[in-house]
Amino acid sequence: MKIVIIGAGFTGSLLAKALIAERNKVILIDKSPERVRSAGDQLDCTVIEADGTDLDILEKAGIASADALVTLTGDDEINMITCSLTDAIYPDVLKIARVRNYDYYTRTVDIVRKGKNRLSENGRPVFGIDHIINPDVAVASSISRAMEIGAAGSATEIEGGYEIIVLPVAEESPLSGKKLRELAAIPEWKYLVAFVESNGETELPCGDTVLNTGDHVGVLVRNSEVPKLLRFAGVISTPINRVAIFGADNIGALTVAAQEDRKKAFWRAFLKLGKTKSRELLVIDRDAELCRKLADKFPDARILNGDITDDGFLLSEGVCDCDLMVAASGNYERNLLTAAYLKLRGVTKAIALTLDSAFSGIAAKLGVDVTVPMRDVVIDTIMSHLRGRNIKAVHSVGARKFEIVSCEVSSKGEVAGKKLRELEELNGSLVLLIRQPECSSYEIPNGGTELREGALVVLIMPSGDSEILEMFAGKPEMTA
Amino acid sequence: MTYTVLRILTYVLGITGSSLLLPVAVAAIEGERHMLAPFLIPMAIAWGLAAVFWLKVREKPKVIGIQDAFSVVGILWIVICLFGAIPLYFSGAFPSFTDAMFESVSGFTTTGATVLANVESLPRSVNIWRCETHWLGGMGVVALAVAMIPLLGAGGFRLIKAETSGPDKTKLTSSVATTAKLLWFFYIGMTIAATFLLWRYGMDYVDALCHAFSSMGTGGFSSRNGSVGSFGLPAAEWTCTLFMLLASVNFMLYCRLLTGHFSEAFRNSELRAFLLIVIASSLALFCIEGRSFRDACFQVASILSTTGFMTGDYTTYLPASQIVLAALFLVGGCSGSAAGGVKIIRWTVLAKQFVNEMHRLIHPYGVFSLRINGAPVRDGVVSTVSAFIFAYIALIMISAIAGAAAGLDLVTAISGAFSMVGNVGPAFGELGPTSNYGFIPSPLKWWYMIAMLAGRLEIYTLLLLFGNMVRKHPRS
Repeated sequence: MKIVIIGAGFTGSLLAKALIAERNKVILIDKSPERVRSAGDQLDCTVIEADGTDLDILEKAGIASADALVTLTGDDEINMITCSLTDAIYPDVLKIARVRNYDYYTRTVDIVRKGKNRLSENGRPVFGIDHIINPDVAVASSISRAMEIGAAGSATEIEGGYEIIVLPVAEESPLSGKKLRELAAIPEWKYLVAFVESNGETELPCGDTVLNTGDHVGVLVRNSEVPKLLRFAGVISTPINRVAIFGADNIGALTVAAQEDRKKAFWRAFLKLGKTKSRELLVIDRDAELCRKLADKFPDARILNGDITDDGFLLSEGVCDCDLMVAASGNYERNLLTAAYLKLRGVTKAIALTLDSAFSGIAAKLGVDVTVPMRDVVIDTIMSHLRGRNIKAVHSVGARKFEIVSCEVSSKGEVAGKKLRELEELNGSLVLLIRQPECSSYEIPNGGTELREGALVVLIMPSGDSEILEMFAGKPEMTA
Repeated sequence: MTYTVLRILTYVLGITGSSLLLPVAVAAIEGERHMLAPFLIPMAIAWGLAAVFWLKVREKPKVIGIQDAFSVVGILWIVICLFGAIPLYFSGAFPSFTDAMFESVSGFTTTGATVLANVESLPRSVNIWRCETHWLGGMGVVALAVAMIPLLGAGGFRLIKAETSGPDKTKLTSSVATTAKLLWFFYIGMTIAATFLLWRYGMDYVDALCHAFSSMGTGGFSSRNGSVGSFGLPAAEWTCTLFMLLASVNFMLYCRLLTGHFSEAFRNSELRAFLLIVIASSLALFCIEGRSFRDACFQVASILSTTGFMTGDYTTYLPASQIVLAALFLVGGCSGSAAGGVKIIRWTVLAKQFVNEMHRLIHPYGVFSLRINGAPVRDGVVSTVSAFIFAYIALIMISAIAGAAAGLDLVTAISGAFSMVGNVGPAFGELGPTSNYGFIPSPLKWWYMIAMLAGRLEIYTLLLLFGNMVRKHPRS
């Protein structure tokens, strides 16, 4: 695939790196000579020093033959307009723009929602942008997912109501010391181990894989069975009823909004006599104006205007009694320290928003339970859109070594019509879920499952292994 | 300034003059020939002045400043009350001009406190005029004028702001004239409905009109000494209850309903609080007193809407029920309605602020937002409301002292002050519902007139008018 990226900042370079690793052709365009030099030194791709908004430059860079355009400059308006301009001349190129301004994002999303029928007539996206990536939205949903499973590990939502939950194997856990084969024999264990992280190495498991204390396992589980799994694995001790969120800007607000939605779900659950309990939310920020805005928006959350490092503040508002601390301010270092500090002061679990996954190790040493790496989340989101038409979603796991891909079995792929146990070449990948063409729900396949044409499969495979993908989906096509 | 006042005065005089047509018609139909002159003379004066002013101002600029708006409305109300007093004085039914003026102010401010012991002996045309003043004052004559004046621009909204009640006033439609027209459209529509129902349930046309005017304006004048109760028509009492309550709801809400915003009306904090108060106090009165539920509802509606109709003498009720009613004196109706009093929205704001302050004690770092109708309100609202309530209570206190100085007993002086400032009408003690204001000394009557006007125009308007008058260098 040929992908043009405008903006060679941190995100742009990281994205280029990830794409190059998957043997894509990447053209990086940036105005700043310094950034161009450093990108050219580090990355094996074409780097052009020019203004990416100039259509002539884009044409020279080969936009006409490119599959996708990703705009990642620091300027929302430039990102959006560049996509729009390109769309006017090259409507077939997939266009992805990063838009940091939350208002732009919501308004565009609103327009898409309201004009759904009208827009589909000529099939053009709003402003010519196929996907708008808002870092705050991506990060907030990542945080919310981690909160959902009680910060016991990280969670990734997969197709069809399934999630991959990464759990630590504790000493007292029933998982510890077991072979997967033994685990499968336990009647309560109805889950699938997708990957195992042991001593920093991620591997796909087989029946003889042993789970040792200190390992992390990625478990495929249905949404509704997450609590059951967590209880079985002995990770959840106390329910999370009181959550403190540090940072009242966009990410904080979106996280609160997600919890409020959860409350609405609570009422639905209440009618069904479900067990979901409503949570008490505390939002803490030093900025009085941000606090004011948030208080206006969310009357049910407790908004506190104070310094989180101030002992008097912590005591008088009872922040230390919280079950979960979410440090999600714009200051990443402070997030780490705050999360670590509050854990020391008695908060049960802590989630910290960090700049990228490089901080995860430090965070774990400091006692922070979950880190949400901002850049990685954004790149994951972009990457999930940068696949062929047949490939729906991508999530990377195990420090990007593996990725979980959802795709459709195409008639052009070799595997179509075969049974799973007949596929010996699938080495290094694992089919996690399958939805046969006539079925409406996903299920965990076994050796006898046939891969019929048109079936949707979710597989875990080494990152960027296009050969495996081609076996399922045929040659990737960007344009349609 | 002068031209603006004159221009609006032209319309207001025109409206006042035209509104005298109704008593003239009643006088003609009922054969009260001696009453024709007292109505026709002020009508001629009003129309004549209007015509003269019209010639003077029609070519002049049509702008109005915010400072002027308050003065203009204050002056207009005094002028209207004066015109209203003329027919009453010439009818010969009132012993002095002070009494006629008191009756007129009480009428236009929708208070409904009468100086007469026997209203049944009045000519029917005079009775209809007394009740019509309620109706004109209820929605606001100036609002009616604004509805009719073309091209007044943004200034018109300032005039309406100075006249209507409530802390937060919004324009309903893009143009202020359309807003005013819509409001009057609902007002007239409901009055017609009330008149028809009352007539249908057994009143004759004059009584039906009188009580419809009185209910919709939340006034309280009646054509009978025993008020609504003396008709002995339960259906008519229910009708009056309904329309008194309807008139104390914000009229903007009816417009929102008309345009299909049902959920907005349902979410309205003030309306919810209003309904809660009506139901709770009706039930309380019913349980304590043990009389008919109809009576309980009627009394609550009458006092809460600041109408002052009655079906029985509440001063003979048990003390507990009297306290319930006395509390309602201070509550009042909704903002933007024809009712008087402090207005429920203000109490709602203060109550919510009180809850926030409680929270603040427990959570000293907490940031709390005050929400009315499901949306956060601007920061200044709480202080605006607090300042208003201070002024309101201060006015009641001064009026109570004035009453005591004039020789009234304690209960009468205090409840009279509540009644006057809140535009209710009847009070407790010597000024109870079966009594009248005829016996109080003239100076106190004049003070009460000021109190009624201040209460109707929500204090600031009148205060600013006097402020402008005493200032040495008035704004040019």
